[in-house]
Amino acid sequence: MLNDLAALDRAFSALADPVRRGMLARLSRGPASVSELAGPLPISLPAVMQHLKLLEASGLVASRKKGRVRTVHLERDALGQAERWLARRREELEAQLDRFENYLETLQDGEK
Amino acid sequence: MAGDHDLVLERTLNAPIDLVWEAYTKPEHLKRWFAPRPYEITELELDLRPGGIFRFRMVGPDGFDTGHGTPGCVLEVIDRKKLTWTSALGPEFRPNEMGEGCESFPMTAVVTFEDASGGRTAYKAVALHKDAADRDTHEKMGFHDGWGTVATQLEELAATLAVKA
Repeated sequence: MLNDLAALDRAFSALADPVRRGMLARLSRGPASVSELAGPLPISLPAVMQHLKLLEASGLVASRKKGRVRTVHLERDALGQAERWLARRREELEAQLDRFENYLETLQDGEK
Repeated sequence: MAGDHDLVLERTLNAPIDLVWEAYTKPEHLKRWFAPRPYEITELELDLRPGGIFRFRMVGPDGFDTGHGTPGCVLEVIDRKKLTWTSALGPEFRPNEMGEGCESFPMTAVVTFEDASGGRTAYKAVALHKDAADRDTHEKMGFHDGWGTVATQLEELAATLAVKA
């Protein structure tokens, strides 16, 4: 629980900066290399790397290095819609099975 | 066989398999437990044969009404053992028009029953959903709003955490 809250704090502080929000907006359209991310930004590469480090620490993005190119992508699993949709779906199905179980019980009580 | 986006539910039901099968497959029984209260199933058809119809109408006190419901299709029936149906197809295997929202996510349910000791029944349901490519498309649609969406999701996450805490 405390870990969850700490992760949430990190995520919110990562979102609290316009440069990082711009980077997230770019990444929402698909993965990008560090230089693609840095391209439109009026800041130095080391500053971009610093922002990236914060975003990665927040769990909102992840990156992979292949050769000399580091590609950054949104960490969908952290907030993925599909995952949450599936979780809701599971809850519905579990609840339905509960109702089925209760109904079986009433059927059997009726027999006695 | 279950993929990343499939759900598997297993439970041992405290009732003999004959009763479980009947309560699971007879419309008059299904109507009684299929919908979450206060919603109600007012119409239900289940034709237990490959190509048979599976259709229900759900109504709620808030004016919610699925109408006659998009009919699904029964794919496989093994008496007291297995029932497979899908919402992707209609009766006689005719493909369904996929609607908006939930309805754009068809699913196939594979439900199996097995005798368990003490007059109980082992129940297993696998809900199959579309593959990762489709899911990713959906996710990208959701993420297209950019960071606004991310922020909204964080808010929702925060709300759920607040409740738990």
